[in-house]
Amino acid sequence: MTTLLRPFLERWIRERRSQLEEYRLMLRAFGRDWLAVASLAIILLFVFGAVFAPWLTPYPEQGRGEPNVLEKFLPPSWQHPLGTDNLGRDVLARILFGGRTSLSIGFLVVIIAVAIGTPLGALAGYFGGWLDEAIMRLTDIFLAFPSLLLAIAIAAALGPSFTNAMIAVALTWWPWYTRLVRAQTLSLRERSFVEAARGIGVREGTVILRHILPNVMTPVLVQATMDIGSAILTGAAMSFIGLGAQPPTPDWGEMVNLGRIYFINHPWLATFPGLAIFLVSLSFNLLGDSIRDIADPRTRRAAR
Amino acid sequence: MSRRSLSALLALTALTLLLSLVGCRPSTPPPAAGEMPAPPKENVAVYAHPTSFPDIDPSISYSNDSAVVSNLYETLVWYNPPMQPQLLRPGLAERWESNADATEWTFYLRKGVKFHDGTDLNAQAVKYSIERTINMGMGASYIWDPVEEITVVDDFTVRFQLKYPAPLDLIAASGYGSWIFSPACVEAQGEKASKWFNEGHDCGSGPYTIESYERGRRLVITRFDDYWGGWKPGQFNKVVFEVVEDPTVRQQMIEAGTADVTYDLPRENLAALDARPDVVVYTNPAFQNLVGLLNVRKPPLDNKLVRQAISYAFPYDRFIQTVVSGYAVQSHGPVPLGMWGHSEKLFQYTYDLDKARELLAQAGYPNGGFKLVMTHVAGDLDERQVGEVWKAELAKLGIDLEVRGMSWEAQWDLGKSDPMQAQDIFVMYWWPDYVSPYSFLYSMFHCEEETLFNLGYYCNPRYDELIDRGNELSGSNRAEAERLFIEAQQILVDEAVSLFFYDLVNTHAVRADIKGYVDNPAYPHVVFFYELSR
Repeated sequence: MTTLLRPFLERWIRERRSQLEEYRLMLRAFGRDWLAVASLAIILLFVFGAVFAPWLTPYPEQGRGEPNVLEKFLPPSWQHPLGTDNLGRDVLARILFGGRTSLSIGFLVVIIAVAIGTPLGALAGYFGGWLDEAIMRLTDIFLAFPSLLLAIAIAAALGPSFTNAMIAVALTWWPWYTRLVRAQTLSLRERSFVEAARGIGVREGTVILRHILPNVMTPVLVQATMDIGSAILTGAAMSFIGLGAQPPTPDWGEMVNLGRIYFINHPWLATFPGLAIFLVSLSFNLLGDSIRDIADPRTRRAAR
Repeated sequence: MSRRSLSALLALTALTLLLSLVGCRPSTPPPAAGEMPAPPKENVAVYAHPTSFPDIDPSISYSNDSAVVSNLYETLVWYNPPMQPQLLRPGLAERWESNADATEWTFYLRKGVKFHDGTDLNAQAVKYSIERTINMGMGASYIWDPVEEITVVDDFTVRFQLKYPAPLDLIAASGYGSWIFSPACVEAQGEKASKWFNEGHDCGSGPYTIESYERGRRLVITRFDDYWGGWKPGQFNKVVFEVVEDPTVRQQMIEAGTADVTYDLPRENLAALDARPDVVVYTNPAFQNLVGLLNVRKPPLDNKLVRQAISYAFPYDRFIQTVVSGYAVQSHGPVPLGMWGHSEKLFQYTYDLDKARELLAQAGYPNGGFKLVMTHVAGDLDERQVGEVWKAELAKLGIDLEVRGMSWEAQWDLGKSDPMQAQDIFVMYWWPDYVSPYSFLYSMFHCEEETLFNLGYYCNPRYDELIDRGNELSGSNRAEAERLFIEAQQILVDEAVSLFFYDLVNTHAVRADIKGYVDNPAYPHVVFFYELSR
């Protein structure tokens, strides 16, 4: 099998040598950027915690929401490193399980936004004309509203639930990607390799898929990484006002909301989930920032 | 690198936002402290009130506005606080009587009572007030439904002819819709009277009159010098109702002494608050309970055995002792503790999962295997906690409880829709308009053609007969009425038509130097400042 594959693999590597070299340089630059490494580590830590939550805590049922009222409001201790909440549930377990909701809202919102925004942007930028006009005016409509307000309105109309909150936030975010991709496409369209492709009769659809989209993915990726943090924050804000995940499903924003009531006497309730939101969204922001610097050869070299 | 700092800035903004979500509110200075030029403390009381006052028109007021209205206006009769030998005491009426079958009531008015506009109280004013309330048809006006005609017998005697027997003395003591006001004062405003009231005016005869009103923020009342009860030194000349929605801020205010009375504080903090030498926490029955009406029309809760089974699956004691920190009492049926018609003899379901399993098996659901939807008001933490705790217990029986927090309007709309499509369990609080068991027993369990508050869709002619008869007798033979009401409640409990989670207790935090404070659950969260002194 390997002998069969080897020639293909070698050819693949040969053809993409310069590209791979580029990735290697990026990786090295990344390794030198301690802030980026730390951010990635924090993100991976939380993702790991969310994925393996049932095995990481002795109280998985409490993490999922089962009350244990006899132990309510215990301050942090060895049994409960981050204390217990109003129904006696281990806060650490809640945060681990809450990560499942909060992180997935972050990733899913951005994935949906990219999935809607990128093709629309590419179409608008590539074809121009009335299509461009229509799509751009549509984005204007969405961007005219403050995004959190629009998300709240959509979620309130759909009814409070995790899925609806996600859809609501994603619906307010895609226009940014449309604009980003359109701007990139506009300049790519005039580049000679695109003209060449069109010149030899490649179909329009293929030009967009093979020549335009791969070249706009870097800025989209950077934007997406930075946005995950904000998406988590927005998701938390939605849960905070009761429009997100419904209790007893754990969610960081919801935990902060609940903890707020008890803040004076039991500050750990709001503080730890708040810290989780803070760390994760900050990390995604810094990571996105680093990726942008690294992906651009000019800033990468300047940073050396 | 400038991009990096920009992003760090963004992240910092995020942090600030987050922290403002988390913890900045408690550090906000109490509004009373900063904004008011410290008034002479000895004669001003401050009530830090958790809600604003929706409508202070005495004919409309049907909500927390009662806290204000009760200090401006008076009723013919007052309902006494619990544990007093008499249920009622005279208000603007010195005495009253009814005929044998309680269809004709005569009230003899107090003489020498002046309204705030200087006019005198007379029978005409009583007729005018009640008729205005009835004709406007808003708020609690429906409590006057039995009234056929109001007759002015002489200046100080007024007679009510009723369409059917009713306890008019209890109705006249209601904290909603029974206020008496000056006809001249209201007429002077013509059509716009309601608007004028809500701009901060009143036409009452009570000990206080409105001095200023900033809607949604602050209302100041000042003493009415010609009040018929007279004034003694030490009584409050002025009362400030400060609207403070945040419980932690209210707690800080009462601790700092910038508020004299408040309520609705985090229960966990009450014991510590009470231990302070300068604050007293009063705990009293609340005439209010938390119920979970079961949908008796829709399977599987149309089966009495299933209803009983889930009634056995709520850990009443544990919930009350821990989650609500003991500030509640498990209910005996739907009429709450401290009210007439409440009976300690009624059966209570206890937490007994074995019994529940047995009943489920009898009903044909040995391993549960069905799903129930419980709706509640999303913002209410206690209702939510009831749901979360019950969900865990029902899961042990193989029943999947979906706890659905909704806005009250949405919850109620769903409840009023087709019972077969509606929720299985409707969790809500109930409190009376006027203090009669009938308010609880009729509204939530009497047959309804179109659903209003009978949100479990229960209908039993025998039960209806008992409570209707009880209501007719409430005015003339209260002991017999009470017996009938208790018999009717026994039916509800046997049939397990609702979860009777607990009766609430009211807690009010009052500064220790305030004298004369007595809570009266017939007028929820009303503080009669005239009775207080410092």
